[in-house]
Amino acid sequence: MKNELNFLIEVGKLKTMPRMGWVLRKINNPETIAAHTFRMTLMAWILCYQKKINVNKALKMSLIHDLCEVYAGDTTPFDNIPSGKRKREFFNEWPRLSKKEKEKFFLNKYKKENKALKKITSSLPKKLKKEIMGLWNEYENGSTQEGRFVRQLDRVENLLQAFEYWKEGKKFKIEPWWIQIEELVDDPLLLKFIKVLEKKINKKK
Amino acid sequence: MTEEKKFYLTKEGLERIKNEYKNLKELKLAKTKGESPKILHSEDLNPEYLAFQEDINFLDSRITELDNVIKNAVLIRFPRGEKQSVIDLGATIFVEVGGQADEFTLVGSLEANPSAGKISNESPVGRALMGHKAGEAVVVSSPVQTTYKIKKVKYSIS
Repeated sequence: MKNELNFLIEVGKLKTMPRMGWVLRKINNPETIAAHTFRMTLMAWILCYQKKINVNKALKMSLIHDLCEVYAGDTTPFDNIPSGKRKREFFNEWPRLSKKEKEKFFLNKYKKENKALKKITSSLPKKLKKEIMGLWNEYENGSTQEGRFVRQLDRVENLLQAFEYWKEGKKFKIEPWWIQIEELVDDPLLLKFIKVLEKKINKKK
Repeated sequence: MTEEKKFYLTKEGLERIKNEYKNLKELKLAKTKGESPKILHSEDLNPEYLAFQEDINFLDSRITELDNVIKNAVLIRFPRGEKQSVIDLGATIFVEVGGQADEFTLVGSLEANPSAGKISNESPVGRALMGHKAGEAVVVSSPVQTTYKIKKVKYSIS
Protein backbone atom coordinates (compact mmCIF):
# COMPACT_ATOMS: atom_id res chain seq x y z
CA MET A 1 0.00 0.00 0.00
CA LYS A 2 3.03 2.31 0.37
CA ASN A 3 3.18 2.88 -3.39
CA GLU A 4 -0.55 3.63 -3.64
CA LEU A 5 -0.25 6.11 -0.75
CA ASN A 6 2.68 7.87 -2.43
CA PHE A 7 0.73 8.11 -5.67
CA LEU A 8 -2.24 9.68 -3.86
CA ILE A 9 0.02 12.17 -2.07
CA GLU A 10 1.52 13.21 -5.39
CA VAL A 11 -1.83 13.63 -7.21
CA GLY A 12 -3.12 15.52 -4.16
CA LYS A 13 -0.88 18.38 -5.31
CA LEU A 14 -3.48 19.09 -8.00
CA LYS A 15 -5.78 20.32 -5.21
CA THR A 16 -3.56 23.36 -4.74
CA MET A 17 -2.26 23.90 -8.28
CA PRO A 18 -4.14 26.80 -9.93
CA ARG A 19 -5.18 26.64 -13.57
CA MET A 20 -2.72 28.81 -15.47
CA GLY A 21 -5.26 30.40 -17.83
CA TRP A 22 -6.88 32.16 -14.86
CA VAL A 23 -3.57 33.05 -13.21
CA LEU A 24 -2.50 34.79 -16.44
CA ARG A 25 -5.78 36.70 -16.44
CA LYS A 26 -5.23 37.72 -12.83
CA ILE A 27 -8.36 36.05 -11.47
CA ASN A 28 -8.40 36.17 -7.66
CA ASN A 29 -8.22 32.77 -6.00
CA PRO A 30 -8.56 30.86 -9.28
CA GLU A 31 -9.84 27.29 -9.50
CA THR A 32 -7.33 24.50 -9.12
CA ILE A 33 -6.67 21.69 -11.59
CA ALA A 34 -8.46 19.29 -9.22
CA ALA A 35 -11.50 21.59 -9.03
CA HIS A 36 -11.74 21.60 -12.83
CA THR A 37 -11.48 17.80 -12.86
CA PHE A 38 -14.18 17.52 -10.19
CA ARG A 39 -16.86 19.37 -12.16
CA MET A 40 -15.76 17.90 -15.47
CA THR A 41 -16.18 14.38 -14.09
CA LEU A 42 -19.63 15.26 -12.76
CA MET A 43 -20.49 16.68 -16.18
CA ALA A 44 -19.29 13.46 -17.80
CA TRP A 45 -21.56 11.47 -15.51
CA ILE A 46 -24.73 13.52 -15.88
CA LEU A 47 -24.33 14.01 -19.63
CA CYS A 48 -23.02 10.55 -20.53
CA TYR A 49 -26.23 8.73 -19.74
CA GLN A 50 -27.78 10.50 -22.71
CA LYS A 51 -25.16 8.96 -24.98
CA LYS A 52 -24.41 5.41 -26.05
CA ILE A 53 -20.94 5.37 -24.53
CA ASN A 54 -19.24 3.57 -21.65
CA VAL A 55 -19.94 5.84 -18.64
CA ASN A 56 -17.53 4.01 -16.35
CA LYS A 57 -14.70 4.49 -18.83
CA ALA A 58 -15.58 8.15 -19.47
CA LEU A 59 -15.58 8.91 -15.73
CA LYS A 60 -12.19 7.28 -15.20
CA MET A 61 -10.85 9.11 -18.24
CA SER A 62 -12.06 12.45 -16.93
CA LEU A 63 -10.55 11.74 -13.49
CA ILE A 64 -7.09 11.03 -14.88
CA HIS A 65 -7.01 13.46 -17.83
CA ASP A 66 -4.89 16.09 -16.03
CA LEU A 67 -2.85 13.86 -13.67
CA CYS A 68 0.24 14.49 -15.78
CA GLU A 69 0.08 18.17 -14.79
CA VAL A 70 1.53 17.32 -11.36
CA TYR A 71 4.91 17.20 -13.13
CA ALA A 72 4.24 18.69 -16.58
CA GLY A 73 2.39 21.78 -15.30
CA ASP A 74 -0.71 23.33 -16.85
CA THR A 75 -0.21 24.29 -20.50
CA THR A 76 -2.40 27.04 -21.97
CA PRO A 77 -3.14 27.73 -25.66
CA PHE A 78 -1.19 30.96 -25.25
CA ASP A 79 1.98 28.93 -24.71
CA ASN A 80 1.66 28.32 -28.47
CA ILE A 81 2.55 31.87 -29.25
CA PRO A 82 6.19 32.59 -30.03
CA SER A 83 7.45 35.18 -27.55
CA GLY A 84 7.89 37.75 -30.33
CA LYS A 85 4.17 37.71 -31.08
CA ARG A 86 3.00 38.04 -27.45
CA LYS A 87 2.38 41.75 -27.55
CA ARG A 88 -0.93 43.31 -28.35
CA GLU A 89 -4.01 42.53 -26.31
CA PHE A 90 -2.69 39.16 -25.27
CA PHE A 91 -5.95 37.54 -24.18
CA ASN A 92 -8.45 39.39 -26.32
CA GLU A 93 -8.08 37.00 -29.22
CA TRP A 94 -7.88 33.28 -29.67
CA PRO A 95 -4.29 32.53 -30.73
CA ARG A 96 -4.00 31.56 -34.41
CA LEU A 97 -1.13 29.50 -35.80
CA SER A 98 -0.04 27.70 -38.92
CA LYS A 99 -0.74 23.97 -39.13
CA LYS A 100 2.95 23.18 -38.72
CA GLU A 101 3.16 25.30 -35.56
CA LYS A 102 0.06 23.56 -34.15
CA GLU A 103 1.43 20.11 -34.94
CA LYS A 104 4.76 20.95 -33.32
CA PHE A 105 3.11 22.36 -30.20
CA PHE A 106 0.77 19.37 -29.93
CA LEU A 107 3.63 16.87 -30.27
CA ASN A 108 5.83 18.65 -27.72
CA LYS A 109 2.98 18.87 -25.23
CA TYR A 110 2.11 15.21 -25.82
CA LYS A 111 5.69 14.07 -25.22
CA LYS A 112 6.08 16.18 -22.07
CA GLU A 113 2.77 15.03 -20.57
CA ASN A 114 3.27 11.39 -21.56
CA LYS A 115 6.61 11.39 -19.73
CA ALA A 116 5.04 13.07 -16.68
CA LEU A 117 2.16 10.57 -16.55
CA LYS A 118 4.57 7.65 -16.80
CA LYS A 119 6.48 9.12 -13.86
CA ILE A 120 3.43 9.65 -11.66
CA THR A 121 2.01 6.18 -12.35
CA SER A 122 5.36 4.42 -12.08
CA SER A 123 4.77 3.17 -8.55
CA LEU A 124 1.29 1.78 -9.26
CA PRO A 125 0.60 -1.90 -10.00
CA LYS A 126 1.25 -2.76 -13.66
CA LYS A 127 -2.43 -3.28 -14.50
CA LEU A 128 -3.51 0.10 -13.10
CA LYS A 129 -0.60 1.89 -14.74
CA LYS A 130 -1.52 0.33 -18.09
CA GLU A 131 -5.17 1.31 -17.67
CA ILE A 132 -4.37 4.95 -16.82
CA MET A 133 -1.87 5.30 -19.68
CA GLY A 134 -4.36 3.70 -22.08
CA LEU A 135 -7.22 5.98 -21.02
CA TRP A 136 -5.03 9.07 -21.29
CA ASN A 137 -3.88 8.10 -24.78
CA GLU A 138 -7.49 7.61 -25.88
CA TYR A 139 -8.28 11.05 -24.48
CA GLU A 140 -5.29 12.81 -26.02
CA ASN A 141 -5.68 11.21 -29.44
CA GLY A 142 -9.47 11.05 -29.44
CA SER A 143 -9.16 7.49 -30.66
CA THR A 144 -12.37 6.20 -29.03
CA GLN A 145 -15.90 7.55 -28.58
CA GLU A 146 -15.19 8.17 -24.89
CA GLY A 147 -11.88 9.87 -25.72
CA ARG A 148 -13.51 12.26 -28.18
CA PHE A 149 -16.39 13.05 -25.81
CA VAL A 150 -14.22 13.66 -22.73
CA ARG A 151 -11.68 15.74 -24.68
CA GLN A 152 -14.47 18.04 -25.84
CA LEU A 153 -16.03 18.04 -22.38
CA ASP A 154 -12.75 19.46 -21.05
CA ARG A 155 -13.26 22.50 -23.29
CA VAL A 156 -16.92 22.87 -22.38
CA GLU A 157 -16.16 22.85 -18.64
CA ASN A 158 -13.56 25.53 -19.34
CA LEU A 159 -16.18 27.58 -21.21
CA LEU A 160 -18.59 27.28 -18.28
CA GLN A 161 -15.87 28.40 -15.85
CA ALA A 162 -14.95 31.29 -18.15
CA PHE A 163 -18.60 32.37 -18.17
CA GLU A 164 -18.71 32.29 -14.36
CA TYR A 165 -15.54 34.36 -13.92
CA TRP A 166 -16.58 36.73 -16.70
CA LYS A 167 -19.99 37.37 -15.14
CA GLU A 168 -18.34 38.15 -11.76
CA GLY A 169 -16.33 41.12 -12.90
CA LYS A 170 -16.00 41.11 -16.70
CA LYS A 171 -12.23 41.35 -16.22
CA PHE A 172 -11.55 39.73 -19.57
CA LYS A 173 -13.25 39.26 -22.92
CA ILE A 174 -15.46 36.19 -23.16
CA GLU A 175 -15.47 36.23 -26.99
CA PRO A 176 -12.32 34.09 -27.52
CA TRP A 177 -14.01 31.18 -25.72
CA TRP A 178 -17.02 31.30 -28.01
CA ILE A 179 -14.85 31.54 -31.10
CA GLN A 180 -12.68 28.55 -30.17
CA ILE A 181 -15.54 26.35 -28.99
CA GLU A 182 -17.12 26.52 -32.48
CA GLU A 183 -13.95 24.89 -33.85
CA LEU A 184 -13.26 22.44 -31.04
CA VAL A 185 -16.62 20.81 -30.41
CA ASP A 186 -18.58 18.60 -32.78
CA ASP A 187 -20.42 16.33 -30.36
CA PRO A 188 -24.18 16.92 -30.87
CA LEU A 189 -24.99 16.60 -27.16
CA LEU A 190 -22.28 19.06 -26.15
CA LEU A 191 -23.32 21.49 -28.90
CA LYS A 192 -26.84 21.34 -27.45
CA PHE A 193 -25.44 22.00 -23.95
CA ILE A 194 -23.49 24.99 -25.31
CA LYS A 195 -26.70 26.40 -26.85
CA VAL A 196 -28.37 26.25 -23.43
CA LEU A 197 -25.40 28.08 -21.88
CA GLU A 198 -25.54 30.63 -24.70
CA LYS A 199 -29.20 31.37 -23.89
CA LYS A 200 -28.32 31.81 -20.22
CA ILE A 201 -25.56 34.26 -21.09
CA ASN A 202 -27.83 36.26 -23.36
CA LYS A 203 -30.31 36.59 -20.49
CA LYS A 204 -27.56 37.87 -18.16
CA LYS A 205 -26.31 40.53 -20.60
CA MET B 1 -22.32 0.98 -27.65
CA THR B 2 -21.86 2.21 -31.23
CA GLU B 3 -22.72 5.29 -33.24
CA GLU B 4 -24.84 4.43 -36.27
CA LYS B 5 -23.52 6.84 -38.85
CA LYS B 6 -21.04 7.16 -41.69
CA PHE B 7 -17.40 7.71 -40.73
CA TYR B 8 -15.37 9.84 -43.14
CA LEU B 9 -11.75 8.78 -42.98
CA THR B 10 -8.51 9.43 -44.80
CA LYS B 11 -6.74 6.41 -46.29
CA GLU B 12 -4.17 6.54 -43.47
CA GLY B 13 -6.90 6.84 -40.82
CA LEU B 14 -8.76 3.82 -42.15
CA GLU B 15 -5.55 1.78 -42.35
CA ARG B 16 -4.77 2.65 -38.72
CA ILE B 17 -8.22 1.51 -37.61
CA LYS B 18 -8.03 -1.72 -39.63
CA ASN B 19 -4.63 -2.49 -38.07
CA GLU B 20 -5.90 -1.88 -34.55
CA TYR B 21 -8.93 -4.10 -35.27
CA LYS B 22 -6.70 -6.91 -36.56
CA ASN B 23 -4.33 -6.63 -33.58
CA LEU B 24 -7.15 -6.65 -31.03
CA LYS B 25 -8.78 -9.70 -32.65
CA GLU B 26 -5.44 -11.53 -32.47
CA LEU B 27 -4.95 -10.44 -28.86
CA LYS B 28 -8.41 -11.70 -27.90
CA LEU B 29 -7.76 -15.02 -29.60
CA ALA B 30 -4.45 -15.40 -27.76
CA LYS B 31 -6.09 -14.56 -24.42
CA THR B 32 -8.98 -16.99 -24.81
CA LYS B 33 -7.06 -19.85 -26.45
CA GLY B 34 -5.63 -21.27 -23.25
CA GLU B 35 -7.43 -22.25 -20.07
CA SER B 36 -9.25 -19.26 -18.56
CA PRO B 37 -9.16 -18.66 -14.78
CA LYS B 38 -11.81 -20.46 -12.70
CA ILE B 39 -14.73 -18.35 -11.46
CA LEU B 40 -14.31 -19.49 -7.86
CA HIS B 41 -11.18 -19.68 -5.74
CA SER B 42 -12.09 -21.91 -2.76
CA GLU B 43 -15.50 -20.40 -1.97
CA ASP B 44 -14.70 -16.82 -3.01
CA LEU B 45 -14.81 -15.16 -6.41
CA ASN B 46 -11.42 -15.55 -8.04
CA PRO B 47 -9.84 -12.07 -8.60
CA GLU B 48 -7.92 -13.47 -11.58
CA TYR B 49 -11.23 -14.46 -13.17
CA LEU B 50 -12.62 -10.94 -12.64
CA ALA B 51 -9.53 -9.33 -14.17
CA PHE B 52 -9.69 -11.75 -17.10
CA GLN B 53 -13.37 -10.94 -17.71
CA GLU B 54 -12.66 -7.21 -17.51
CA ASP B 55 -9.94 -7.54 -20.15
CA ILE B 56 -12.20 -9.56 -22.44
CA ASN B 57 -15.07 -7.08 -22.01
CA PHE B 58 -12.74 -4.20 -22.86
CA LEU B 59 -11.47 -5.98 -25.95
CA ASP B 60 -14.99 -6.92 -27.06
CA SER B 61 -16.25 -3.37 -26.66
CA ARG B 62 -13.37 -1.87 -28.66
CA ILE B 63 -13.59 -4.57 -31.34
CA THR B 64 -17.34 -3.86 -31.75
CA GLU B 65 -16.66 -0.12 -31.99
CA LEU B 66 -13.95 -0.60 -34.63
CA ASP B 67 -16.03 -3.14 -36.54
CA ASN B 68 -18.84 -0.58 -36.76
CA VAL B 69 -16.42 2.11 -37.98
CA ILE B 70 -14.94 -0.16 -40.67
CA LYS B 71 -18.39 -1.24 -41.88
CA ASN B 72 -19.59 2.37 -42.12
CA ALA B 73 -16.34 3.96 -43.31
CA VAL B 74 -16.37 6.32 -46.27
CA LEU B 75 -12.93 7.05 -47.71
CA ILE B 76 -12.16 10.75 -48.21
CA ARG B 77 -11.23 11.30 -51.86
CA PHE B 78 -9.80 14.59 -53.09
CA PRO B 79 -11.94 16.33 -55.69
CA ARG B 80 -10.57 16.86 -59.20
CA GLY B 81 -10.40 19.80 -61.56
CA GLU B 82 -12.39 22.90 -60.69
CA LYS B 83 -13.85 21.26 -57.59
CA GLN B 84 -10.38 21.54 -56.01
CA SER B 85 -11.16 25.19 -55.28
CA VAL B 86 -14.20 24.25 -53.17
CA ILE B 87 -13.90 23.34 -49.49
CA ASP B 88 -14.72 19.71 -48.84
CA LEU B 89 -13.42 16.97 -46.56
CA GLY B 90 -9.64 16.68 -46.79
CA ALA B 91 -9.11 20.33 -47.73
CA THR B 92 -6.45 22.39 -46.00
CA ILE B 93 -7.85 25.86 -45.57
CA PHE B 94 -5.89 29.07 -45.11
CA VAL B 95 -8.03 31.72 -43.46
CA GLU B 96 -7.81 35.11 -41.84
CA VAL B 97 -9.76 35.53 -38.62
CA GLY B 98 -9.80 38.86 -36.80
CA GLY B 99 -6.67 39.95 -38.67
CA GLN B 100 -4.74 36.76 -37.77
CA ALA B 101 -3.73 34.04 -40.21
CA ASP B 102 -4.81 30.50 -39.42
CA GLU B 103 -4.60 27.17 -41.19
CA PHE B 104 -6.34 23.83 -40.66
CA THR B 105 -7.45 20.69 -42.43
CA LEU B 106 -11.09 19.61 -42.54
CA VAL B 107 -11.46 15.96 -41.50
CA GLY B 108 -14.17 13.58 -40.30
CA SER B 109 -15.07 13.47 -36.60
CA LEU B 110 -12.89 10.42 -35.88
CA GLU B 111 -9.69 12.09 -37.05
CA ALA B 112 -10.40 15.58 -35.71
CA ASN B 113 -7.75 17.06 -33.44
CA PRO B 114 -8.08 20.86 -33.42
CA SER B 115 -4.93 21.24 -31.31
CA ALA B 116 -2.99 19.62 -34.15
CA GLY B 117 -4.78 21.63 -36.86
CA LYS B 118 -7.48 19.11 -37.80
CA ILE B 119 -11.04 20.41 -37.52
CA SER B 120 -14.13 18.22 -37.69
CA ASN B 121 -16.54 18.70 -40.58
CA GLU B 122 -19.29 18.33 -37.95
CA SER B 123 -18.13 21.27 -35.84
CA PRO B 124 -20.01 24.56 -36.37
CA VAL B 125 -16.97 26.08 -38.15
CA GLY B 126 -16.43 22.95 -40.26
CA ARG B 127 -20.06 22.90 -41.33
CA ALA B 128 -20.06 26.61 -42.15
CA LEU B 129 -16.93 26.41 -44.33
CA MET B 130 -17.99 23.40 -46.41
CA GLY B 131 -18.79 24.32 -50.02
CA HIS B 132 -17.08 27.73 -49.93
CA LYS B 133 -14.14 28.94 -52.05
CA ALA B 134 -11.06 31.12 -51.72
CA GLY B 135 -11.99 34.80 -51.76
CA GLU B 136 -15.25 34.23 -49.89
CA ALA B 137 -16.00 35.25 -46.31
CA VAL B 138 -17.96 32.98 -44.00
CA VAL B 139 -19.63 34.28 -40.86
CA VAL B 140 -20.02 31.86 -37.96
CA SER B 141 -22.53 33.02 -35.39
CA SER B 142 -22.47 32.13 -31.73
CA PRO B 143 -22.96 34.91 -29.18
CA VAL B 144 -20.14 36.49 -31.22
CA GLN B 145 -20.00 36.76 -34.98
CA THR B 146 -16.70 35.53 -36.36
CA THR B 147 -15.71 36.07 -39.96
CA TYR B 148 -13.48 33.54 -41.67
CA LYS B 149 -11.91 35.11 -44.77
CA ILE B 150 -10.88 32.21 -46.97
CA LYS B 151 -7.48 32.90 -48.52
CA LYS B 152 -6.58 29.56 -50.04
CA VAL B 153 -7.92 26.01 -50.38
CA LYS B 154 -5.47 23.18 -50.92
CA TYR B 155 -5.76 19.42 -51.21
CA SER B 156 -2.62 17.48 -50.34
CA ILE B 157 -1.64 14.50 -48.22
CA SER B 158 -0.10 15.74 -44.97
